[in-house]
Amino acid sequence: MSFFAQYGILTRMRFQMMRNEMMIFGIIQVALSVGLVLGLGYIVPDVSDTTALFLTTGTATQAIVTIGLVATPQILAMEKQEGRLEYMLTLPISREAYILAQITYVAAMALPGVVIAVALGAWHYGFGLDVSPLVLLVIPLAILSLAGVGIAMATLSPHQQLTNALTQLIIFYVLFFAPVIAPKEQLPEVLQRVSVVMPPTYAADAIRASLTGLPGTHLARSLIVMAGFAAASTALASLSLRRRG
Amino acid sequence: MAILLVDELTKRYRNGTLANDNLSLAVEPGEVYALLGPNGAGKTTLVRQVLGLLKPTSGRIHVDGVDVVADPKYARRAIGFLPQAQFAMEAIQVGELVYGIARLRGLDAGEARRRTDELLDELDLGPFRGTQLRSASGGIRRLAAFATAVVGHARFLVLDEPTNDVDPVRRQLLWSRLAAFRREGTTVLLVTHNLAEAERVIDRFAIIDHGRILREGTPAALRSLVTDRLRLEVTTTEAFGGAHPALQPDPATPGAYLFDHSDLAAVSAWVQAAHESGELVDFRIGPPTLDDIYTVTVGDPRREAVGAAK
Repeated sequence: MSFFAQYGILTRMRFQMMRNEMMIFGIIQVALSVGLVLGLGYIVPDVSDTTALFLTTGTATQAIVTIGLVATPQILAMEKQEGRLEYMLTLPISREAYILAQITYVAAMALPGVVIAVALGAWHYGFGLDVSPLVLLVIPLAILSLAGVGIAMATLSPHQQLTNALTQLIIFYVLFFAPVIAPKEQLPEVLQRVSVVMPPTYAADAIRASLTGLPGTHLARSLIVMAGFAAASTALASLSLRRRG
Repeated sequence: MAILLVDELTKRYRNGTLANDNLSLAVEPGEVYALLGPNGAGKTTLVRQVLGLLKPTSGRIHVDGVDVVADPKYARRAIGFLPQAQFAMEAIQVGELVYGIARLRGLDAGEARRRTDELLDELDLGPFRGTQLRSASGGIRRLAAFATAVVGHARFLVLDEPTNDVDPVRRQLLWSRLAAFRREGTTVLLVTHNLAEAERVIDRFAIIDHGRILREGTPAALRSLVTDRLRLEVTTTEAFGGAHPALQPDPATPGAYLFDHSDLAAVSAWVQAAHESGELVDFRIGPPTLDDIYTVTVGDPRREAVGAAK
């Protein structure tokens, strides 16, 4: 059976498994996006156009981070804990198809939050979007790189509790200490340095670049780094799924 | 050629636990081979190595003559597997799951649909086709797992505790399905505690403890091991002052004991006295069951708590 046929069947089964949560997931994602875009505006006294762009695109990135780096590893950690992952691994299926199916589900969950964050931000703060067709490449790659890292984290982590604790840290990091919602220049130097090795940095930059054409973004560089993160993390995850104790 | 050949297999976990200790066995084509032993005896460790989920510390495992330690993919294609763990596949429905696994095992859409219908019907799962696995009872999950193990027409099945949690009527269905597979020439490696029920479909079995095979043989041959024993089952009252010293308690069944034939007179006298004094309300003496072989071979399974492997 071909890789794509397996991928298709595994993706459908993934949606069937998660059908009860999908609705709640979707609603929470949209609520988070709406809350962040509007709420951060209340904290900042005078929202300039640039600030509004950062808030909005940062929130769009945050939506992908929440699903990719938080929900995905949590789901996978639970799957590991319950022995469901091990069962799936006894089937004659490609490990990569299994990972990709999971990422596809995650992508579908993340997208409404991304779209709503951007649309609401543009309308509320009254700035114009300058959408590049490259966004069609940027969004999948952002999802792939973040969810890939999330999956690698979950497959390598020895305990469900550790995975869950790490994901909590990630939310805080991305919200307050990463160049995602705040511009890089506003962060202390040590955090600027840390951000160089963090995948959300590049997802945020690429999303900003492809939606707004804001100066100071590095689209090409971000695309390449994201592709690197996606490839490396998927390879790491599939290697760790192949590992036999 | 054996379908499954395990040769001098040793598995030591990183924490030092010796789960399989130089274990060898061969399962011949068309045979139903049962593994029996207390929790932590090393049965599931063996199964996980056969499926390529664990790497042996040393030794060989061949499936159809293929070295599956080197080529675990072969084992996954060849083996239909039912895991011991609770089969909680979230919100997927019973019918969707069986169909999905059928497709992943290479059946085309039409064949997968036909086979799913057939299996749900045979296992009396029709009314549960639309039930989500997460809200299904343990027994229904087990049957759904059984269906996924056999849906791909695998010639070799590895079933880890297939009857756990299954109600008596469906359990009979399951055993008769297994008997039918055996008639069709399917080979089965069966891990079970339910020896009494499994006996009629088993060709041979092995009793494992501490990672080693203690005994191996046909049910009849193993039964002969306990012919010098008898079984006493009693229902006691509050006045019960303790069992006769010749009685060896069966740890698996409260109120059940094994004793030597030669002690029959002494035990009978004790039972009669205890009954008359009101310590026993009910008693039954009979031949040993197949489960008693296990008890006699492994000894007191309560010690598993001490020697339990991962």
